[in-house]
Amino acid sequence: MSDGYTIVDLNELEAFPYHQRGGQKLLPIQRITNFRAAGMNGWIGDASEPLVPEHAEDSDNEELYVVVQGRATFTVDGGSFDAPAGTLVHALPGELRSAKSEEPRTIVAAIGATIGRPFDNPGWTSFVVADALRREGRIDEARVAVAEMLALHPDAWHAPYNAACFESLAGDGDAAFAYLRRARAMDPEGVKPFLAEDSDLDPIRDDPHFQELLA
Amino acid sequence: MNTAHIDALDRHEMRDGFVWRPVRRRFGIKAFGVNAYTPGATKQIVEEHTESQLGHEEVYLVLRGRIRFTAGDDEHELSQGQLIFMRDPALKRGAVALTDDAAVLAVGGKPGEAYEISAWETWFAAARFVQAEQWDEVIALHNEALAERPDHAPLLYNLACMEARAGRRDNAIAHLKRSIELEPKWAEHAAKDTDFASISADPDFPAA
Repeated sequence: MSDGYTIVDLNELEAFPYHQRGGQKLLPIQRITNFRAAGMNGWIGDASEPLVPEHAEDSDNEELYVVVQGRATFTVDGGSFDAPAGTLVHALPGELRSAKSEEPRTIVAAIGATIGRPFDNPGWTSFVVADALRREGRIDEARVAVAEMLALHPDAWHAPYNAACFESLAGDGDAAFAYLRRARAMDPEGVKPFLAEDSDLDPIRDDPHFQELLA
Repeated sequence: MNTAHIDALDRHEMRDGFVWRPVRRRFGIKAFGVNAYTPGATKQIVEEHTESQLGHEEVYLVLRGRIRFTAGDDEHELSQGQLIFMRDPALKRGAVALTDDAAVLAVGGKPGEAYEISAWETWFAAARFVQAEQWDEVIALHNEALAERPDHAPLLYNLACMEARAGRRDNAIAHLKRSIELEPKWAEHAAKDTDFASISADPDFPAA
């Protein structure tokens, strides 16, 4: 295979549960391809499983869902409809959307971007992957995903903040504090409310260094 | 919310035999390029082309059936649930259907730039009307695209071509002049373009 292209088989791609939502299984197409023109990922589920996490998109964020195989039930703003393979669903900004699988190995691809703006990979899929790998004890692989997330947004405080959450839960307090200090240096006011309430930081909350950060 | 099955999308059978199923136009999507393709009179399902001019990255996702995809000098058989991400815009690409039910979704855009609707969508949408010499419909499609991008030189040039073929001399010359003002290279194209046969001897014809 040449450097100019990449082939991905969605039936072979490792799926990662989105534990912080309902455990929906993410197929991280973006992470594998590094497609830079739009956001593109997949979701896979067996019959009756949640498939696409319930969420709405901000104004001007357009999303198109495509049922690649199997069958799904989509719910958009309270209304549900059957979506067999080959169905396209265009969800408008602000509409609350979700889907569940109706058949084994149902796959939905989700494509999204913002009207009038270049696509900027938000990196959330790397965090989902890192979190799922950490829970399986695959820490080294998880740290690779964390590093990807940090590299995507070197100037945004939420990247080192999420890395701190990861290290807190992974049991490396020193690394967690180093990331928290980095995030706080970038945006003290942005970080502050999360420090007080985020349960991901509970493992390091009693450390004296934590009180220094709150000060 | 808006929904459609791929089989319910419009069918535009193109000259190479593949069938364009407009997705972006169907839903009015403006944030990225997305279209579907099925085979028509020939087995072609994705036309052979590069993205060098637009600089687009593309993903082709097989929604149904099997295809043989050409990427540069390589060929790959792909089936439902497999995708090929074309990172290099200069790499030649195309595909033929290996099963009659094959369907492919293509997603594309230029990295680092806000998505702009590609002018080729207008050519594709107008193709059936050009073939039937239904010039009012052809010109209406161009004007619809120009309403969103009034200074798009290739669209203006192509509109001028269509107007010349339709015998609408004044509009053809005005739109050709405007396309050349915006991008002088169109003067050279116009000098050789048989679409302008009806007006190329006109003293106001602006070609080089």
